[in-house]
Amino acid sequence: MLKNTINGLDKILFDEIPKGSVILVTGAEGTLKSGLVFSMMTNYIAANDEHGLYVTLEQNVESHLRNMNSLGIKEEGGLHIFDYRDMRLEWMDSDLDLIKTTEEVIDSYKEKYDNLTLFALDSLNALYSISENGNMRNKIYNFFSHLRDEDLTSFLIMESAQSRISGQFSQFHQIEHFLADGTIELGMIEGKGGVKRYIQILKMRATKHAMEKHQLTVNDNGINILGPIY
Amino acid sequence: MKTSVENVADLCESSEDNCKKFIDRIIKTNREVFMMSSLLDKQMCGYDLIKEIFSRCDVFLSQGAVYPVLYTLEGEGLLHAEYSKGDMRSKKYSLTLSGRKVAEKDVEDFAKALEQVSLLLKR
Ligand SMILES: Nc1ncnc2c1ncn2[C@@H]1O[C@H](COP(=O)(O)OP(=O)(O)O)[C@@H](O)[C@H]1O
Ligand SMILES: [Mg+2]
Repeated sequence: MLKNTINGLDKILFDEIPKGSVILVTGAEGTLKSGLVFSMMTNYIAANDEHGLYVTLEQNVESHLRNMNSLGIKEEGGLHIFDYRDMRLEWMDSDLDLIKTTEEVIDSYKEKYDNLTLFALDSLNALYSISENGNMRNKIYNFFSHLRDEDLTSFLIMESAQSRISGQFSQFHQIEHFLADGTIELGMIEGKGGVKRYIQILKMRATKHAMEKHQLTVNDNGINILGPIY
Repeated sequence: MKTSVENVADLCESSEDNCKKFIDRIIKTNREVFMMSSLLDKQMCGYDLIKEIFSRCDVFLSQGAVYPVLYTLEGEGLLHAEYSKGDMRSKKYSLTLSGRKVAEKDVEDFAKALEQVSLLLKR
């Protein structure tokens, strides 16, 4: 169960996240978005005989794994990591519709592994920045519907440094929030004891959860969730 | 209003298209076999494979349907990947020893299956 995948996650999540939920994971750069999602997925896959797909547009597979390794998160055979490096190098001169292509990638893995139950996209921002803009709202809506049709519990990572989001992007910025079943926010707070990382569940449909910001730490055992941060 | 004779004529004209539609479907769902069969002759990257299958079969396999197959076959040890000399832009795939065996058997069995299917239709 996802609730048991991170040390202390049960402090903020009191019920299991319903299967097939689409969850946004937001936060500024370096707030452990990739680490948290990848860690939840590897631990879930290790404990269950299921498969997962982690699509990374931000980094290629090798650099993503290096990053995860430095956070103490190990690779897991059933978690397939897909990057677009080869495709983009070989099709440099063509316009690839990356949203449609990502849907096809999901379908391909689903065909191969019928117990594919988890999906992550790292990140939505990267997907938008390299997709053509025509009718983005519709495309996003369809993309979410596709994830639900495939019955995948999905984590969509969205970098949320407001200041960096230019006008063109912000018009899409709201739709994900109301389409998603859940939103997990990661961040950093400056307090008496210095800067602390936090995790906060802003929304999780059909699930009992805490509202407070809880402290997030990284050590040799990976990611841990401690008590409320106030 | 069209007469029914003309409608039948329309149907006959589209028979080639109709046939193409079925072939398209068969190749897309069995792309793994077609991809491995292409790799029996020479090593190729994803781009080469899509082009080769398009020129041989007149079917366009989309990128999102081809690259995941290459990666999973590589993960299963049936394909070996290496960047071609002097061109870091394309990763060339070739069949491993066990991959070649699987490919040859799959191509043969797939052809047999298609024959059996067409016999099944002639009731
Ligand atoms: N060994 C480590 N111990 C503690 N923190 C680390 C370690 N390695 C990396 N980090 C932290 O993890 C961050 C990267 O996490 P990541 O999940 O990639 O963030 P995001 O995806 O939100 O950008 C780095 O910015 C760094 O602060
Ligand atoms: Mg990241």
